Amino acid sequence: MLTAIIKRDILEYMMSSKFLIGLGLSVVLAGMSTFINIGDYLQRQQDYLDAINDFENRGISVQIFREPQVLSTLVQGKDRVLGNRIEIDYWNLPIQTSGYMGHTSQHHRYLSGFISVDFAFVVRIVLSLMVIFLGYNSICEETVQGTLRLTLANSLSRGQLLLGKFIGGLFVVLGSLTIATLVAVLVLVLHPAISVNWDLALRILTMWGISALYLGAFFTLSLMISTIFNRPSVALLVLLQIWIVIIVVYPNVSVILSQHVVKIPGWEELNDRKRAIFEPYKRQYDENQKAFIKMARFGQYDMELRKKRFELSAHRTELHYRIDNEYSQELTRQMHIAQNIAICSPSILLNGVMQRLAGTDIREFDSFMEGVKRHWLKYLERQSLQYTDYKAYKESELPEFTYVKQSVAECIAQTPHHWIILFLLSVIFFVMAHMVFIKKDIG
Amino acid sequence: MITIIKREILEHLQSLQFLILIILSILLFVMNGWISVRKHREQMTRYSDGVKGIAQNPSTVQASLYMHPNPLVLLADGGSKYQPPGYSLAPKGKLTPLPAGLKNFKMPFVPELDWAFIIIVIFSLYALLLAFRGISGEKEVGTLRLVLSNSLRRNQVLLAKYFSILLTVGIPLILGGLVSLSVVSIFLPEALSLMLVPRIGLMLLLTFFYLSIFVFLGLFVSSLVTRSSVVLLILLAAWILFVFVVPNLSGILSDKLTDVPSEYQSAKQVSSILKEQVWARIDKVRERVKRGELTMEEVIRRETDRAYEEGQEEVRKHYAGYENAMKHRANVARNLSRISPTALFQFASESLADTGPRREERFLKDARVYSSVYDNYILEKVGRLVGTSDWSFGASITVNGKSIDISSPHPQEYEGDKSDFPHFAESSPNLAYNMQQAALDLAGLAIWNLILSILAFAAIARCDVR
Repeated sequence: MLTAIIKRDILEYMMSSKFLIGLGLSVVLAGMSTFINIGDYLQRQQDYLDAINDFENRGISVQIFREPQVLSTLVQGKDRVLGNRIEIDYWNLPIQTSGYMGHTSQHHRYLSGFISVDFAFVVRIVLSLMVIFLGYNSICEETVQGTLRLTLANSLSRGQLLLGKFIGGLFVVLGSLTIATLVAVLVLVLHPAISVNWDLALRILTMWGISALYLGAFFTLSLMISTIFNRPSVALLVLLQIWIVIIVVYPNVSVILSQHVVKIPGWEELNDRKRAIFEPYKRQYDENQKAFIKMARFGQYDMELRKKRFELSAHRTELHYRIDNEYSQELTRQMHIAQNIAICSPSILLNGVMQRLAGTDIREFDSFMEGVKRHWLKYLERQSLQYTDYKAYKESELPEFTYVKQSVAECIAQTPHHWIILFLLSVIFFVMAHMVFIKKDIG
Repeated sequence: MITIIKREILEHLQSLQFLILIILSILLFVMNGWISVRKHREQMTRYSDGVKGIAQNPSTVQASLYMHPNPLVLLADGGSKYQPPGYSLAPKGKLTPLPAGLKNFKMPFVPELDWAFIIIVIFSLYALLLAFRGISGEKEVGTLRLVLSNSLRRNQVLLAKYFSILLTVGIPLILGGLVSLSVVSIFLPEALSLMLVPRIGLMLLLTFFYLSIFVFLGLFVSSLVTRSSVVLLILLAAWILFVFVVPNLSGILSDKLTDVPSEYQSAKQVSSILKEQVWARIDKVRERVKRGELTMEEVIRRETDRAYEEGQEEVRKHYAGYENAMKHRANVARNLSRISPTALFQFASESLADTGPRREERFLKDARVYSSVYDNYILEKVGRLVGTSDWSFGASITVNGKSIDISSPHPQEYEGDKSDFPHFAESSPNLAYNMQQAALDLAGLAIWNLILSILAFAAIARCDVR
């Protein structure tokens, strides 16, 4: 009997116009957005390659470039808006990348108001709405039409019926998600400039997994609301209001609240802190600077003085970096608080995992910046050879810049709460739907 | 017809969705008021400090020009978080955006909770939710036949439904607006003045004009399609396209449609400009020195200063060219997004509130006018104008065995009395001017209204009411 219910529901859903319209829209948007985003990614990738070829190892300073992520074609996240270039030397170690033109962000401010439309958007907005549409009348419509009484007149418990509807609906939801994912992946794979390796494939598969959990949570929520309300129209309206709160209002509120909880220091405070931390060395630094200028003016060459200048400047940069890094950590803390406040929003949970998997989140950026710090230390080590062993300095080469990229396993391991909460939300909604349905008066 | 309007309004007011909307909209408008108060206070503090700073320390090297904070960001923020608080003006009209203060670039992107956003997302959806069953719902339960059996034309039924929906939506909208304004007037009374009332009133009218599109759309699809659930699905698909997809996709599409070199290509051109425009000119001076044409240090310095000055001019032009190209790209994106009524409403709201890129453009226009006054003042006090770019240069030239350090000239600070320093005044926004700016968007909204109203009336005229 359970199988019959599942089959009937699947057939019913698949033949419904709401399924066809929802699926059609998702497929078109997933394909189109991926295609457009590939063009954007290729342009950024070309810029990156040109920059590497043109600028590598020139002058005293070192330029490091941040490679755009392939999966930004599916989940843009922060990839496009963060800068791609950073310049380091012994008197400068920034905590933020800049654009190639030297702005603080590559993504020009005139275009900053336009957010991305990508595969993550399709799942978050379009498919979640389609799921609500599939599930809102699954119980209440049958109650209104009287078919629920007839169905339950057979040897079928209410629990089994609900389970049947859940499995049938979930099958259709996952089928739609799979089709939309396949279309996006197909556009990606068929593009001659993009090669999809096993790592990428695994990441996309994991994205599918978290999307399935996300849509599952919306489907069980729809089932629950459908059991609570008797009129399908009321159930749908309640679901749409919940959807707006989850997708639009809640994340917005979380950001505003976090800005109140964690206060970010201003420029003046940061500069005061920097002055204070360098105060013990300032006199020595100033004297050295004066002596150095005097030496340069008279065309003299004092190795000891140059070495001292290098050491003091590097120390000053390191101390300033410490303050900047503390500030950067404050920013991360504020962001984490916003995420924690919005922890019950499936949309935030989905975004968190998707961006982590695509390498387009702030974690990836922070990892890049940690790599920059390590690279700076290696740079200092090499530069110091100039004053102790010039031959060794000339023979040595600065190692290639690398930073730790997260594997798929690490991405999953670092976001267990996202997966667990999404799963728990589904379980809670289903259990509540079951509890209401058991006691429901079906007329 | 009035009876139908009354009946419909009563039905809507008693519904659960109306109650939810009232609660949701009041909450959102309270938040909007609260956020606006905070934002305006911060902006006013920064503005007052900045203006005070200029008054105390006027400079002939550079002057900071601050944009006066606008309390109407409450209505339409217009991307104020991406806008600089003002511009730094250097001699020869070089304008550089002032740093916007420290912002958390790690924070996820969330749209500003202004009136425009609440109306675009919440109220447009609500208008659709009220309209989708307008005709098809009555057809399903059979009441449409009964209603039309009276001496009432189909057009009148449609009009009655249209007005009842707009009036129902208007209640939470006006209530929410009043709540938002009350929050601002309680916590920041100085921000609101009677001068702003016409703009707020026009914003409300604009909102009805915008929501009218969604009501007509809802009634049109409702007359066309028999099943209410399908009607709602079609309407939601249209809503997603109008509200989310078209306005945002246009940003990335404009990259394809504008012939602007990539940021890296533009950055790469800088080094060749420096080589060809700056160093080539300095090399020419060197050659003249070698040939013995220039022997006096003073003459050499004058020649190199001129060479640097001409080179800097080219560098400044390149940066300005890039900035203009990005503005052009943003304009293309905005024009593309005008396909959607949501974008039209957003831009018209920004014009009415005098926020967004157009406001910044107006400020820049004022700043350019002021720059000539500023340059004249410098000429009068210092005697010469020195233009700079983001780059400064230094080199040395050997004359008769003596090395002369030459560097790109910097503007000079006048050390005398600067009590007659020219004051920068931003032109005050004129409502007629702002309306003129909004004309194109208003025309777009009118076209949408016209098309959808014709379609809705045509659809109900041909609708099978059985």
